Amino acid sequence: MNNGEKRIIPLTEGLYTLPALLDEKPHLIGSKCSNCNELYFPKKEKGLCIHCQQKTLEEVELSRQGKIASFTIVLQPPAGGFYHGPVPYAYGYVDLPEGVRVETQFTGNFNNLEIDGDVELVIEKLYENAEGDEFVTYKFKPLKEQK
Amino acid sequence: MKPLNEMREVVVGGIGITKWGFYENAEWYDFGSEAILNALKDAGMEWKDIQAAFCGSVYQGTGSGHQAIKEIGLTGIPIVNVENACSSCASAFRLAYQTVAAEIYDIVLAVGMEKMPRGPIPSTAFRPWELKLGFNVQPANYANIAVQYMEKTGATIEDFSMVTVKNRRHGALNPNARFQKQVTLEDVMNSRLVATPLRLLHCCPLADGAAAFILCSKNKLKSKHKVVTVAASTLTSGVYGEGYPPADITPSLNYPAAMSLTELSAKQAYETAGYGPENIDVVQAYDTMAPAELWDLEELGFCKPGEAPHLLREGIFDLNGRIPVNTDGGLMSRGHPLGATAGGQIYEIVLQLRGQAGPRQVKDAKVGLAHAMGAGPNSAVTILKC
Ligand SMILES: [Zn+2]
Repeated sequence: MNNGEKRIIPLTEGLYTLPALLDEKPHLIGSKCSNCNELYFPKKEKGLCIHCQQKTLEEVELSRQGKIASFTIVLQPPAGGFYHGPVPYAYGYVDLPEGVRVETQFTGNFNNLEIDGDVELVIEKLYENAEGDEFVTYKFKPLKEQK
Repeated sequence: MKPLNEMREVVVGGIGITKWGFYENAEWYDFGSEAILNALKDAGMEWKDIQAAFCGSVYQGTGSGHQAIKEIGLTGIPIVNVENACSSCASAFRLAYQTVAAEIYDIVLAVGMEKMPRGPIPSTAFRPWELKLGFNVQPANYANIAVQYMEKTGATIEDFSMVTVKNRRHGALNPNARFQKQVTLEDVMNSRLVATPLRLLHCCPLADGAAAFILCSKNKLKSKHKVVTVAASTLTSGVYGEGYPPADITPSLNYPAAMSLTELSAKQAYETAGYGPENIDVVQAYDTMAPAELWDLEELGFCKPGEAPHLLREGIFDLNGRIPVNTDGGLMSRGHPLGATAGGQIYEIVLQLRGQAGPRQVKDAKVGLAHAMGAGPNSAVTILKC
């Protein structure tokens, strides 16, 4: 029961930090291997490094800014009925400076997307259900559009 | 580990195929059994000669090979089902080849078959949270590779479109293809956008169908066809660090792969066969999306990285070019019944080497290579010679 009040629900738990204070910003949560230094997003729940096969992964907060490795504007709805966001949508990969590639949606003006372009992490609505509940996710947005 | 090229020689005893297309009133076991019977006839063999069966399919469920073989008759032989995504039939072919090479059996059947599910097909490669974010659109996965390829090589969307135009031109000469009608550059460039920069005619169509092979030792051959020998059959199922978006694998920036899975499977195949790319007379490359044929040819070693678009424009990959590629029309014309697709490629190589490819025959083809990829990820390279 939501008593008429609309709720904000993360589409998936555990992908990013939820800041307790207003002036703090969210970070993606990844894993870092203390044995081989390999990085992963999202974090690996089993703690096993799939590069060196040691159980030496630690949770880390990843950089908020990175560069677009590639992107596409998708004009066809995904199969299976799992996706409830808008179509078209922008989908691709961002390279973070510590050395990890992140699969993501992009937000903002699609015309501002370019390979190697600077982007920053945002938490944004993907869609709203019939009750008005907002489902939110991480996305990346071109830096030139950030306030 | 004993190298396969030091084991018994394995030859193609017989081949069979069905006409690929959409069939509302037939199932995979209908296509599968039809292809098997065609292969038996081509081989001049009896059903009771077959000593084991490896059956590739993806969406048909439990015991799918048994269902096809039941249509012909159970004879007490082992039937093993092989699901290896779009490389399923190449994987079944490889198992048949290995068991004959190792002298476990003398005559073995490999079949690939599929009735594609109707309507949207959710991929099992993506985790639930990724499905909720819409990461599972195959053309979009390929678009991400394509834009990086364009950035690196200067390839254009017209180059990608020319792959479709070439393959559909070849497919017009293949009576078993789903599409036997040519398309123009304009047709491709005006088809609906699916995921920028890729359009509908950059994507291969789906299809239902089957292909079957009887592999045997040379002393068991019965047919009078020109003898085709398996020179290599390799399978690489992913390497650490290489990204493969269609199977939802993100590359490692810290530990990038020294060699891609395609490069590794090709290297192993060339080493086993004792041939290099310069010895290959006819190629079936993996054109599930048009641009993929270009980087596929580069990774298979037929040209340097970034050179394929240029060679395509020069006509090098045409039927009468120096390296004829996808002479039967490729996935673009045949259509893509997942479990059978790699079999369609190998079937065409056998026809070419036997000199039975009719209007699309490559002159004096002596060595041919087929490359299937797909989710998993998998990369399967088959080299045949005559
Ligand atoms: Zn490690």
